[in-house]
Amino acid sequence: MSRERILSAIRQGKPDLQPLPDVIGFPSNIADADLADTFLTMVKTNGGIGVRANSLDDVRAQIASEYDLTLPTLSHVDGLDLNNFTPTENLRLLDDLNLVVLEGSVAVAENAAIWFNEATLGIRALPFITLNVVAVVSARNLVGTMHEVYKRIDLNTGFGTFIAGPSKTADIEQSLVIGAHGSKTMTVFLMP
Amino acid sequence: METTVRTTHHAEAAAAFLRDEENVDWHNETLWFVRSKRDKAATLLPEWEDLREQASRIKNHALSRLDDYLVELEKNAQQNGITVHWASDAEEHNRIVLDIMRQHNATQVVKSKSMLTEECHLNPYLIKHGIDVVDTDLGERIVQLRNEPPSHIVLPAIHLKKKHIGDLFHQHLGTDAGATDPQYLTEAARIHLRQKFLLADVAITGVNFAVAETGGFVVCTNEGNADLGAHLAKVHIASMGIEKVIPKGEHLGVFLRLLARSATGQTTTTYSSHFRRPAPGQTMHLILVDNGRTRQLASPDFRNSLKCIRCGACMNTCPVYRRSGGHSYHTAIAGPIGSILAPNIDMKQYADLPFASTLCGSCTNVCPVKIDIHQQLYKWRQVLGEAGAVEPAKKVGMTGMDVLFSRPSLYRFAGRAGRRLMKLFPSLANNGKLNPWAIHRDMPKPPAQSFRDWYAEQEKK
Ligand code: SF4
Repeated sequence: MSRERILSAIRQGKPDLQPLPDVIGFPSNIADADLADTFLTMVKTNGGIGVRANSLDDVRAQIASEYDLTLPTLSHVDGLDLNNFTPTENLRLLDDLNLVVLEGSVAVAENAAIWFNEATLGIRALPFITLNVVAVVSARNLVGTMHEVYKRIDLNTGFGTFIAGPSKTADIEQSLVIGAHGSKTMTVFLMP
Repeated sequence: METTVRTTHHAEAAAAFLRDEENVDWHNETLWFVRSKRDKAATLLPEWEDLREQASRIKNHALSRLDDYLVELEKNAQQNGITVHWASDAEEHNRIVLDIMRQHNATQVVKSKSMLTEECHLNPYLIKHGIDVVDTDLGERIVQLRNEPPSHIVLPAIHLKKKHIGDLFHQHLGTDAGATDPQYLTEAARIHLRQKFLLADVAITGVNFAVAETGGFVVCTNEGNADLGAHLAKVHIASMGIEKVIPKGEHLGVFLRLLARSATGQTTTTYSSHFRRPAPGQTMHLILVDNGRTRQLASPDFRNSLKCIRCGACMNTCPVYRRSGGHSYHTAIAGPIGSILAPNIDMKQYADLPFASTLCGSCTNVCPVKIDIHQQLYKWRQVLGEAGAVEPAKKVGMTGMDVLFSRPSLYRFAGRAGRRLMKLFPSLANNGKLNPWAIHRDMPKPPAQSFRDWYAEQEKK
């Protein structure tokens, strides 16, 4: 059987045990006071829009002025009820979605990657199939680096993803185009 | 051993690529631009070199316990409801994929970028068995429509200009004739591929990292195509080389900081998705593929190459790759790292590749996991030379050099004679027919005086 063949070939051919480094990762180069500014700058670098918001009412008002909320919209953020769309079993119907609003549990300042786990997504396909994504993140949940974020998230979730901006490609002559297959915009609201 | 192998494939294919000078210049400059972006991203992290060291050591460790980690990965993945398969070679991998498709009566599959499935030639296999397979990464879709393999592991269509793509899309997707605007063309591809995503029965993705501790795996893209496919289809098949397993979740932090910075100069890929359990109503398969990797592991000279995280940095920086184009390597993974991996799969067919390098060491310098790429290429040359797989013409030159370098007085005489000869008949040294090293190279002007003569004179003064 291939399994046994592969494992025994490994056992015969593998090198002597090499130790793991004692400490994994490095301290952040970003001072705590600069986390928010660095994060918002990186959101922009990633092709997204980063905005400070004071409250969920503030977020709601800004969303209403930016997006057409009569189009299919789904929000999975508690206290931000913008839903006018009921997903069915048939995931393909999600193709109609114009806007999905999600809460990021932790976000990384050095690259503006925001972590969404299965619980916050509800349906895994949501942030990929919708035309526009809004993420709400609390400044209290910002960390400096990818090393720190892995201490904060639970990888025992069924699915989780870091999202850093709208989807993009540069496959045609290296010209950056925003909006490949996933969302065409991503707006990030940074809450206190 | 007999010298039955032609080792000029790469050189011939590169010569064909070089005929379109304008395109070559563009290719060269664009990849250098990507390499420069990598440099900028790297210098912004003071710990960059230490990060590389850490990544290299984690990979060394993982390879030294590869059997344990694969068993742990398998156990945990199975507990999570993922079906795990093992494939000794490409053929077995492809058969497993087809079996899964048949079990589900599936005929349509969307694939996201996976160099492993390229290595296994999965597409032609599936097509032969009546399966409609669509590559969904934009660059991969472009080369698929052209019936070509990708020419770069991160930038599959980097050998093409937008006018080629405009013509291609006009023909296949009905875009306006002569249209070349990347935004417009990308939008057309988005609409076309959206239909494919919505109809696919099965999605195939690659795996960037698999984590033994969690039994999950990570897939990184900028376009979101891997996720769109995997979440919409009922069945997700993820194919990985066995070397992709790392021990723990915390190690991902190290690799994810290096991957995108090394690949494109971005601080991260747009989507870094962690799959661990199938969604309700869906099915997930993980295929662990050997295809020569255990052989590579057993070779102390070449096992280091298994640390590769497929960032493409070594290609972007390679002066040969940039001027010869990825297709000239006639293997799934082009460039410096591909030239180490390919001869392990088929030494005869790929004997030319370790020679498609200047051995300048630039690849080694940029590699995020510290693979001694140029040294391995040099080792391959020796192995291939001993096996008699080196192109006869260049070998004569090298044997000649061997004789020359081992006899100092002859070397001195040859130097003097050579300088005289090159001065009197410069075209002789520059003639590619007589001197294969002069093809596409102008030999340098001979110096008036040798270093040795100059040094002797200084001593006298
Ligand atoms: S060998 Fe190193 S530089 Fe080249 S693709 Fe692999 S990881 Fe990147």
